[in-house]
Amino acid sequence: MKLDLRSINRCVRCGTCRSVCPVFEESGWESANTRGRILIMKGLAGGLKADADVHSSLNTCTTCGICTEKCPAGVNPPTLVEEARKELVAHGMVTKEQAELSKRILESGNTMGDRGERLAWLSDRGLLKARSDYVYFVGCMNSYRYTKTAKNSFAILSRFGATLLPAEQCCGSPLLRTGFDAGELIEANVRQMKQMGAKTIITGCAGCYTTLKNNYPAYFHISSIPEFLAEHISELDLQPLPIRVTYHDPCHLGRHNKIYEEPRRVIEAICDLREMKASRENARCCGGGGGVRSGYRDLSLRMARRRLKDVPEGVDYIVTSCPLCIRNLRDAGAGEKVIDLVDLVARAIGKQCL
Amino acid sequence: MNDILKILQDIFGGRVSASPAERCCYASDASQVEGMPDYVVRPESTQQISRLLRFCSERQIPVTPRGAGTGLAGGASPVRGGIVLDMSGMRRIVEIDIINLQVIVQPGVVADELNLALKPHGFFFPPDPGSSAMCTIGGMISNNSSGMRSVKYGTTKNYLLDLEVVLADGRTIHTGSKVLKSSAGYDLTGLFAGAEGTLGVITEAGLKIAPLPRSRRLVLACFPDAETAGQAVISVFSAGITPSACEILDRLTCRVLKRCDPNLAMPDDGDVILFEVDGQESSTAEEARQIAEICRPSALSVRVAASRKEMEDIWAARRLVGAAISRLDPSKTRIYMGEDVGVPIGQIPSLIRKVQQITARLAIPAMKFGHIGDGNLHVALFIDVMDEEQWQKLRLAADGIHRAALELGGTVSSEHGIGMARAGYLPEQLGEEALLVMRSIKKALDPANILNPGKLGLEQKNEI
Repeated sequence: MKLDLRSINRCVRCGTCRSVCPVFEESGWESANTRGRILIMKGLAGGLKADADVHSSLNTCTTCGICTEKCPAGVNPPTLVEEARKELVAHGMVTKEQAELSKRILESGNTMGDRGERLAWLSDRGLLKARSDYVYFVGCMNSYRYTKTAKNSFAILSRFGATLLPAEQCCGSPLLRTGFDAGELIEANVRQMKQMGAKTIITGCAGCYTTLKNNYPAYFHISSIPEFLAEHISELDLQPLPIRVTYHDPCHLGRHNKIYEEPRRVIEAICDLREMKASRENARCCGGGGGVRSGYRDLSLRMARRRLKDVPEGVDYIVTSCPLCIRNLRDAGAGEKVIDLVDLVARAIGKQCL
Repeated sequence: MNDILKILQDIFGGRVSASPAERCCYASDASQVEGMPDYVVRPESTQQISRLLRFCSERQIPVTPRGAGTGLAGGASPVRGGIVLDMSGMRRIVEIDIINLQVIVQPGVVADELNLALKPHGFFFPPDPGSSAMCTIGGMISNNSSGMRSVKYGTTKNYLLDLEVVLADGRTIHTGSKVLKSSAGYDLTGLFAGAEGTLGVITEAGLKIAPLPRSRRLVLACFPDAETAGQAVISVFSAGITPSACEILDRLTCRVLKRCDPNLAMPDDGDVILFEVDGQESSTAEEARQIAEICRPSALSVRVAASRKEMEDIWAARRLVGAAISRLDPSKTRIYMGEDVGVPIGQIPSLIRKVQQITARLAIPAMKFGHIGDGNLHVALFIDVMDEEQWQKLRLAADGIHRAALELGGTVSSEHGIGMARAGYLPEQLGEEALLVMRSIKKALDPANILNPGKLGLEQKNEI
């Protein structure tokens, strides 16, 4: 098996990651923390058979990156985990859930396997432009599940001239995180972006953001909605709201891409912000990423429930900027208390859907 | 299914694993000592452990207790196979008894978590290994761990009031009580501290706690060489000041620290001593002033850390510096060997000189830092682990460092333990007769030799 032994060997097994791994907090078995996963990768390189337990060790990592943040030796475990998953897939070792996910996405172009029209949320197709500097990349979740957020995002971004891809496909994130190839999807999206003359791609999904930024060819400037909103804050005409909120840092926006200040700046322009018990670099993962939600739903929700314990008392909303986090935190019991940053902004602008 | 697995499942329910992947994760700690266990169990109660040990004694199955697996000498590596007993799930703080200045904890409680729980009460558990964010109290007791503040506060052993221990045959004993001192018979509590799980399994611990100091101050003094630095330390003690930490960092360590955190205002043109004092606001200010005054004539530079934040940043960087080298040079990995020697404090400059000679001769880069206030020097050696020749040099260097410490009347381990990595040096360090006494104790308590076999030099043959 082809694994990056040079990087794996940088691990000194000090166990720092063991004290922060959110999966390990739920499981308690060494194979469910970063150090264990690295030992298993070493084992695979040395002949350990890739059985179901190897899969559940590697596939339960949410790639949240808190271990990277804390690792004194500078190891980047999420990258190693993703590479190991890729190797397993390349050798035909795939779990049932992984196979189903991959089939679903490749057949339907979206994570949910939804056969419906991706732009069904858009009331007027006449708003679409053939060419634009700015493209709003909606993502699967907001296209099919959180369509109000898609509407609000588009309403705000179209003020700045943004348009949509005519036939947006899944960005490929769920495939890439679980070890599959996403070349076809990436190609289909990039082709449209180029045809439209796009210079900046803006997305409101942390999963899409990190994928567009780190896995796509670097033809375009990639911006997250929090970055874009913070940059244009004076043009938004935000009205203060008499509420108090907290902010959950999505791992793929925060730790993976260091976007901590921008969403906070936007929130503080609208209302009172109280930090969660663990935030920014130390934010606990909601459990929804890295393919864990689709493969290990119960574990994923347990992590989300633990994350909800970090919410400070007396807040009206838990704001975040990732539909995967929203879904998991809502399903874990917080319900409609969890909202997207865009929806907060839409409210502060005056109209829900403008 | 074989009958051992069946019995383990009967005792531990679902908290048993015989999976190759799981066993692979429990084959080592942070040392280079490895051994593949046949089973891993994660107990939740003393009763389960009692049943397990009774069964294992009858069947002569090795049992290796383990905390968080952060040990540096192979103490938790199951070198004879058998069962790994992962104690980290027993992590309840049973009682915080402020009136009696103590806490009762299960062994899987992590040191920092205990201190987090004690903080609102204004108390703390003083032993502070660099791994305090992850290491368990059980592991700390079993290795008699300590850290930077041991110069004032002592080691884990100094805080043990009572241990609940399951013996090899399944009997459970208490070694003490809630009284803060007792003069009643052999010191059984002390016997289990540092025993690395070879005499029994600790299932609960009564620990003495101390009031949190109101104030801390840090003095950074940079000296032209380790001898001058060592002299300054002795002068500070002679002036009637007991620092709460007294750390030496050599030039390379300071450079690595600065590379890791460029904001650290750390001198790197000499050997640096970090003196920390704690206590009341007024006393720490005065003691810091006095330390600076004592150091000034012989130091290249002296200053008091400007803020609490600066002090915390320096300590945070110091705690992690050992593993940080690969951030700077990804081709190098820190290997924990020869990393924990100790000598009488007057011999620290000689030890540093010897280590310098050994590592220079073998051309292995080495950071030297440690607790100069109690004679404990940590040598951090780095190699390219893909290069077998460098491994050989590393082994030679570690052996040289251990022997250098012994020649100076020291110890091969001050706070990390012996495990298997250093077992071969015990006859020389303790003397054959003393080691025979240890073996007699082991035989009396664990005649079938099921508890963590292969460790502490208790078996006749131990190779270096």
